[in-house]
Parts: sequence; structure tokens; C-alpha cells
Amino acid sequence: MKSSILIASYLWKDTWKRWFEQPSSPLARLFVTGLLALVATVILVAFHLLERSIRERLERFGLNTVLVRETITTESRELTVFGDAPHRLAPLAEQGQLLRVRQLFVRGITEFQNSVMVFTYSPAAFEHFVGFLSPKTAAILFTEDLPGGVLVRVNVNRHSTLAVSRQPQGWLRPLLAEDVLLVPQGTWPDEERLGFVETTIFQRKPDGQSVAHVVSAVNNFFTLERERRSPPQVQSALPLIRELEKLKERQVQWRNLLAAILGIAVSLVYGSIAVLEFRQNLFVSALLRSFGAPRRYLFWRHLVENSLLANLAALCAILLLAMLHKTLFGTLGFARPVLEFSGGNPYVSAEVLSILIWVNIGAVLSSIPILVGLRTPVGATLN
Amino acid sequence: MINVSRDTPSCAGAERSLSGADAFTCREICFRYFRQQPWIINGFSYAFGPGITLIKGASGCGKSTLLRLMAGYLTPSSGSILTPAGVSPKDPEFQRRDLGYVFQQLNLLPLATVTRNLALAASLAGLPVHETSERSAKWLRLLGIEEFANRLPKSLSGGQQQRAAIARSLVKEPLVLLLDEPTSGLDDLNTRVIIRALHEYVTGSRICVISSHDARLESLAHEVLDFNRFLPLEGHLEALV
Repeated sequence: MKSSILIASYLWKDTWKRWFEQPSSPLARLFVTGLLALVATVILVAFHLLERSIRERLERFGLNTVLVRETITTESRELTVFGDAPHRLAPLAEQGQLLRVRQLFVRGITEFQNSVMVFTYSPAAFEHFVGFLSPKTAAILFTEDLPGGVLVRVNVNRHSTLAVSRQPQGWLRPLLAEDVLLVPQGTWPDEERLGFVETTIFQRKPDGQSVAHVVSAVNNFFTLERERRSPPQVQSALPLIRELEKLKERQVQWRNLLAAILGIAVSLVYGSIAVLEFRQNLFVSALLRSFGAPRRYLFWRHLVENSLLANLAALCAILLLAMLHKTLFGTLGFARPVLEFSGGNPYVSAEVLSILIWVNIGAVLSSIPILVGLRTPVGATLN
Repeated sequence: MINVSRDTPSCAGAERSLSGADAFTCREICFRYFRQQPWIINGFSYAFGPGITLIKGASGCGKSTLLRLMAGYLTPSSGSILTPAGVSPKDPEFQRRDLGYVFQQLNLLPLATVTRNLALAASLAGLPVHETSERSAKWLRLLGIEEFANRLPKSLSGGQQQRAAIARSLVKEPLVLLLDEPTSGLDDLNTRVIIRALHEYVTGSRICVISSHDARLESLAHEVLDFNRFLPLEGHLEALV
């Protein structure tokens, strides 16, 4: 039989015996690594999910979208029920698409007892909704809970209307953060006279001015009119992009910190145990070396043992977390769609891979004292 | 402490042998374990030729240290040691193929059977499996431990373990065999078995160096190196203490 196989088999037997005689040694290593890997994985996966939820919000909102909400009350001169007031943001049409709808200060209730926001659209906005309309009704119910094309009865105060259900899609999505009933302007004049939120959605053309520029222009415009009206709410993807960048920055910092903690802890714990056990097993090492067994075999034995335990513990921790993923992160407040593995498995991501890399670096570092110990002359150990 | 100078009687013979091509040569070697300590071996020169050389001397006089230096298990502070092949004893090939060493304290691998202990040494020496089996059977039979071949060392008596350790060194039939107190604490029967095996081994250009203060081995040796002669009386007493 080849000497390498014989030595490996003997060393493996020796390792097993040591583990059985002192189970605290492998268990301590498994426990420490498992616990550290578990904490590190929770933090890194949480970052991953946060990033994903921001990206989803970004995707939903659109990178090139600006939403302007201006409250029109009964005192406003712009309060008109029939027909549009002059559109102050009309010059933006050169830079992209514009759509203006009004959100009423009332809510509707569907026949399924779901609460919905109520919007009206003007004849000018009609072209944007023409594809959603049904020949049976001019009212549209944007909802994700129902399939498209279902006729649903919706009650708004004492009124009732039949609306066709549609899935929210395209650049209108930022408007449709929750279920929305959209009816032609003037359908319920009494409700519209109470005031509304003039909502303008702007979709930038690819060759148009940047979103930041548009946001700045809108803010400047309303600053000029500050004395005559309350400032509007201007929404764009910019804060989300900033949030994403900040999150990524923090993620890198945490990853580096966790890597350092993990690597140092594993190398210290494993190194200390390896040194203690090496001293206990100095005799066998020296004896094998006296036959001419190369030192690298003996070094590899410690390296393989440490790597095996470290990887086993880290993989078990990651696997355990993957099994508890939905329960744990659901409890931490992440939305269900973000938790789905179909959108990308966070446990096979670069972040989690970095845990395994650092655990292995720790295992390698912990074996360095063994390398030094193996330099002790055989004759100084054996008598 | 061995303190040999070139003009000592023993070194006159050594001078003669140093030129021998088949000899295991030590030239002016000095050794001590720690810097603060006096030299354990100081300027020792000798050429160990084929046959059996017995190094005898009081405990602590440096016999075992010399053997460990010759095996390459320790490094001399100065001087040189050359194997018959002309390489340093630290050479891994020499240690694997051409060197057999029996430690004072048995030192069998505790988790391996006697056969596996032999197989491990033989495989490191590059012996093919069938040859390992044949030689293992031969030396186990000659040393009278054939029936314990599949037993673990802990289930053997001291004498049986010593014979197994010698069998492990002999299985590769090395060019150089170094034995450190191979018969200490053994009865006459065990000693006779070991002597017979060593007689069988030492043929041709094989070199066998035995460190022992066991007078029963003196009849076996072709050459006797008495380290006591190199010790001043005070040093000898100090070594004994």
C-alpha cells in the first residue's frame, strides 16, 4: 500500500480517537464557528434582503420617474371639478411623458371589503388609460389581489360603481402603491369639490434631462410660488438610490468587520486547541517523522482537521438559517416577496461565500503554529 | 560528556577508518542541547564501519545523543556527519530507506497493529507490498512475535514491544541500524532472541551501532567504543549523578 495512504489512514484513526477521548475539542470548535457563522450570515443576509427590497422599490418606482403631489383644498383657485386647471408642469412634457390625475379625499370599499384609494382622470389623461378600459365600464380598479378583467363593485360614500380589475404595470406603478379606483373626472362632483391631491407623474425620455435636474427644476418652480401655495411633495428614485449606495457602503464595512472577527476568532480558537493537541500528540508526529514521513503530511493533518470542522460548522449554520429563512426574516419585518428564493438565493451569494472564505483563512492561520512546532527536532522529542 | 580529541587512542583507529568508503563518518562533532550547558559531545570523530559497533558508557555520557545525531534527529552544533552514501543523515531518502532506529522507549505507533507498524515503515522505505509481507513474516518469526502480529502495542509485554520495535526497524533491512539500549530491562531469553536477529541482519556492508551498557551485548560486537574512557573521573561521576 502507498505510504501516503497508510499515513493518512493512521492519522485519521488517531484524530478520531482524539475526538472520542476529548469530544469537547471538536465540539468547542464546531460551536464557536457555528455561532459566529450564524451571526455573520444573519447580518449579511439581512443586508442582502434590505438591498433587494430597496431595489424592488426602485424597480417599482422607476429610475426615470418623478411624482409630484400637490394638495388642492376648497380655498385653492385651482379647485375645478370639470376640466383641468392650467398645467404648471406642462413644460416638462418636452423631457418625457406627463400624466395628471387627482386623488380624492375619500376612500372606496370593494365588494370584497378591501379599502381602495380613489383617483379621477381627465379627458386629457384618457389616452393613457384607454388600454385598461372595458366596454362595460369607464372605472378601473388597479389591484394585485385579483386577476385582470373581473368586474368588481366598489362603493364610495353613498355612490356605487362597477369597475374592471387590472394589474398595476408599467410607469404608472408609482401611483399604484396600493389598490386604486380610477374613475373619469366629474363622476362624483360632490366628493371632488372637497379637494384633492393633484398628482403628476413624469417619465423621463432616454435623451431628456436627468431626474436630478427635473427634480431641481420642479422644486425651484414651486419655491417661486411658495407664498401662494403650500409646497408640493416631490418624489423620485434619487433618495432610494442614495439609500442603496449608503447601504452598500455599510454592507462592505460590516462584511470587512465580520470577516476580521470571524477570521481572528477561528484562528485563535483553533490555533490554541491545535497547539494544545499538538503538544499531546508530539510523540506520534515525531515518531512518524523518524521513519522519514514528510512534515507536510503532519501539517496537512492539522490543516484538514481544522478546515473540516470549520467548514462543517459554517455550512451547518448557513443551512440552518436557510431552513429558518422565511420565519426568521419574516419576523424581522421583511416583505414576503423579498424572502422568496426565486428572486435570488441569498445563501449562495458572494456575501455568504465570503464567510466560508474567512472561516478557511482562519483555519489556515490556526495551523501556522503547527508548522513552527514541526520544526522541533525528532531527537528532542523521542527518547 | 564525550570529550574526544584526535590524539586519544580510540581516534587513532578512527583516523584510519575515516577514509573508508563504506563507513558512517563523524568529524569533529560538537553538541549541546542548550547554550548555557557544557558540551555533551565535544570534537568527536569516528568512522563506523560495517559490522556491529557497541558504544558503552555510563548513563548521561552522550551515547543516545550520538545515535540521534547519527540518525539526523538532532543537528550538531559543529562538525559533520556523513552516511556511507556520502549524504547528511538528515536526508529524507536516507531516513526513509537506509536508516533503522530503535528508540530506548519502544515507541510503537499505539493505534496500529504490529503488522501495520511494520508496513508503515516499509512503505515509507518504498518496499513493494509482497516484499513487505515476506520480510515482515521473516523478522516477526525470527524475533518470535509472529503470533502477535495483529495485536496492538498496548496488549504486548515490554519484551514483546521491544522486539516489535526492532522488527519494524529491520523490515526495511536498512544499510544503517542504530539501536538505543535495545535490551535494557529485558530478560536473557528476550536478549538472546534480539542478538540472534541482529546476527542475521548484519551481513555485507551493513552498519549496526548499538548504544548500551548491557554487558550481554559485548560478545555480539565487532568493535566496542567505550565512552567511559573519554570521561574524566569527575565528569563521569557528574554524569552518573
